[in-house]
Amino acid sequence: MDVKPGAVAAGGDAAAGLISSPNWITSRLDDLVNWSRANSLWPMPFFPACCAIEFMATAASRYDISRFGMERLGYTPRQADVLICAGRVPFKLAPMLRRIWDQMPQPKWCISVGACASSGGIFDTYAMVQGIDAIIPVDVYIPGCPPRPEGILYGIMLLQKKIKGESILDPTLRVEQLPDERGMFLRPAAVDELSEPFGNSVHQTRSA
Amino acid sequence: MGEKRTLELELATPGVDAEGRPIRVPLGVAEGRRAAAPDLRSELMLINIGPQHPATHGVLRLVVELDGEVVSRVIPHIGYLHSGFEKLGEYRHYNQIIPLTDRTDYLAAPSNNVALALAAEKLMGITITPRCTVLRVIACEMSRIMSHLVWAGTTAIDLGAFTVFLWAWQPREGIYDLLEEWCGARLTTSLTRVGGMMADVPEGWTARLRTWLQGLPKTLDEVDTMLARNGIWLGRTQDIGVVSAEEAVNRSLSGPMLRASGVAYDVRKDRPYLGYETYDFEVPIGEHGDVYDRYLVRMEEMRQSVKILHQALDRLPEGPVNAEDPRVILPPKHRAMSDMEAMIYHFKQVMEGVSAPVGEAYMAVESPKGELGNYFVSDGTAKPVRWRIRPPSFINLQALPFMAQGHLLSDLIAINASVDIVMGEIDR
Amino acid sequence: MNGASPNPSAAALQARFGGAIVGASVSCGDTIVVVARERAHEILRWLKETPGEAYDYLVDVTAVEYRDRERPLEVVYQLWSLPRRVFLRLKVELPKQEPLAVDSVVDLWRGADWLEREVYDMFGIAFRGHPDLRRILMWDGYAEGHPLRKDFPLRGRFSRAEQVRQALTKTPEAHHSVEELAVAEAFQQLSNDARQKLERAGGPGGA
Repeated sequence: MDVKPGAVAAGGDAAAGLISSPNWITSRLDDLVNWSRANSLWPMPFFPACCAIEFMATAASRYDISRFGMERLGYTPRQADVLICAGRVPFKLAPMLRRIWDQMPQPKWCISVGACASSGGIFDTYAMVQGIDAIIPVDVYIPGCPPRPEGILYGIMLLQKKIKGESILDPTLRVEQLPDERGMFLRPAAVDELSEPFGNSVHQTRSA
Repeated sequence: MGEKRTLELELATPGVDAEGRPIRVPLGVAEGRRAAAPDLRSELMLINIGPQHPATHGVLRLVVELDGEVVSRVIPHIGYLHSGFEKLGEYRHYNQIIPLTDRTDYLAAPSNNVALALAAEKLMGITITPRCTVLRVIACEMSRIMSHLVWAGTTAIDLGAFTVFLWAWQPREGIYDLLEEWCGARLTTSLTRVGGMMADVPEGWTARLRTWLQGLPKTLDEVDTMLARNGIWLGRTQDIGVVSAEEAVNRSLSGPMLRASGVAYDVRKDRPYLGYETYDFEVPIGEHGDVYDRYLVRMEEMRQSVKILHQALDRLPEGPVNAEDPRVILPPKHRAMSDMEAMIYHFKQVMEGVSAPVGEAYMAVESPKGELGNYFVSDGTAKPVRWRIRPPSFINLQALPFMAQGHLLSDLIAINASVDIVMGEIDR
Repeated sequence: MNGASPNPSAAALQARFGGAIVGASVSCGDTIVVVARERAHEILRWLKETPGEAYDYLVDVTAVEYRDRERPLEVVYQLWSLPRRVFLRLKVELPKQEPLAVDSVVDLWRGADWLEREVYDMFGIAFRGHPDLRRILMWDGYAEGHPLRKDFPLRGRFSRAEQVRQALTKTPEAHHSVEELAVAEAFQQLSNDARQKLERAGGPGGA
């Protein structure tokens, strides 16, 4: 499981000068704010495909996600903290994912559940986004096809751990990504690099 | 299913007339509702549901044209989960397609695996062993139960009853445990191989399946207690989304959608495969073709599946699970390492795949959603020229605009839920 | 299994339609009848409505393109008779040098609606007389072509960055069907070519 540094900061350079040094008050305040944020995450479920069924299992009787303060599956991005993208995202669905992310208020985080959301998985085809990190910034990637409920819970705990390390003094964490004049959020070369085939791709079998 | 409906509900909304006396506005059929309402047809409203909406069961987008609260037209937009399965299949060996089938109808992966293996075997002319046949029946019926359980749970959530979801998920977790013991995965099972299974069931597995089967009818009875005589459930489901038998056939519906309308078409009975003709089970048929009948049909199908599973466990023969065909089945590892001929077969299969003769085959199975067909066209190489899935819920969903017309917007949710769609299969 | 006796409907079709039957064969136990494109609709209607045939259930409509570039495309109809429990596969061959078009069977089976739209989307085969022939799985205005054609690369024609850019600049709420446009008055949000296509088809509200 990989934890990526926070959101890409478009205006980060200007904001960096504002960080003052942490002191006793801010670090106590950080602890309090992060503790409350981490333990009452309201997820926005974005459930296109198979991984959603495992997320439903996580929310159901046996695994009981409410132990982590997350049982309120909001379905409205305006009242959510963490976008959980569980399933493959085709290009046709990409603008919806981006819009939902844009509608979520700060502070917000994103968990990418499963191989398809993280990298395109086995679907290295004409229709599929090769990893949602080409569309929105991702905080935690959960591997698996689909990941087990334990894996999903572990990913949530990793996110909680990440949140507990944040500081209110770091304004770069909350800077919104803005589209460039082409309508993209990353450089085209970066998108191409993120979408490179690897592992189980069509290069695997060359017999025909 | 011949049981008469004992509860007839009369739903009404109270209102007051010009003198202030309460009046009752019938909320019965659509025509009555239209007639009772004042003429407000000056403007239709277009609202958009989805593609990310909890009640559309995935990434379905419905554009609904509303006349007040009455649906005058529904225009479904699909393709938001189109992943290119059929294109990808043309670049894969037959055995490599099996993991793809897990991800089409991901609520019932084992039956997709079986459907694909049967189609490939029909194309190649391979006969499977008796033990494999019975194991595949077990896989199919388990997936029917696991799919219908999710259907009952999510449909109940859509209509405002959350408890059923939690109850239905308990036995489903039991199936997950059994599948995990069998193949190592909970959801994406890849159970079959062309000519056999990926593994035999482990020691003591059949006894554990029997134990699980004993608990399931209790859950089904509990769900029935909650829903079958529940006034809200009846009011929300009876006479909603009615499809007549003729319309159902004309619209190529299949599975519980077709049978709830009174057409007794079940691939297990009409085009038997895996020896289904030798099992003793009934195909439940509805009378009214509404959402409630679809619920009854699915509940009864689960009970019939329990019956089939008991029979399959009783007759499960000993013996190998894989066909004795070195063209398609990998030789055991110890032979591949010690025997030259076995090693060559191993090498050829891994490097070149299993080639099918020139020809084409369409093989249908009765998946939980309906008739799931796999159509292969082969040009003699190890990869199909064309792999086509006949997706039952894709075809069932296209009747949604017809079913929802004239109903309330809230009924549209019930009708949509009753189709039992799974977007992975619709969009492929 | 290839030696199985053919479905008697093949002989009945031969007797009734003669020259319109291009060929009949058996593959893996299923009878395949190839029919002439101009008379396919008539033959399907006959198969559906003749009492002795009664193929009342349309199982599937799909298409096949072979790896051999010279071979014509095929539109495949899988038919099932509910009362007689008989299966029949009907094919129409579409040579590539002619316009890829065949008559729609939506007037016979409503269930053919989305199936034909999918074939149109994936193969670019037009169905004449279809009430609402537009893309179904890919979006309207998808610029890369018809994905299941053999000359279409598995990863699409554009680079991944271009695919992402095109996806992100789409309007998620765009309306595409004639009915929606008529109500939403959203005709202007369409691309130029789509607008012209609709105008040719009778325009929003006109159809």
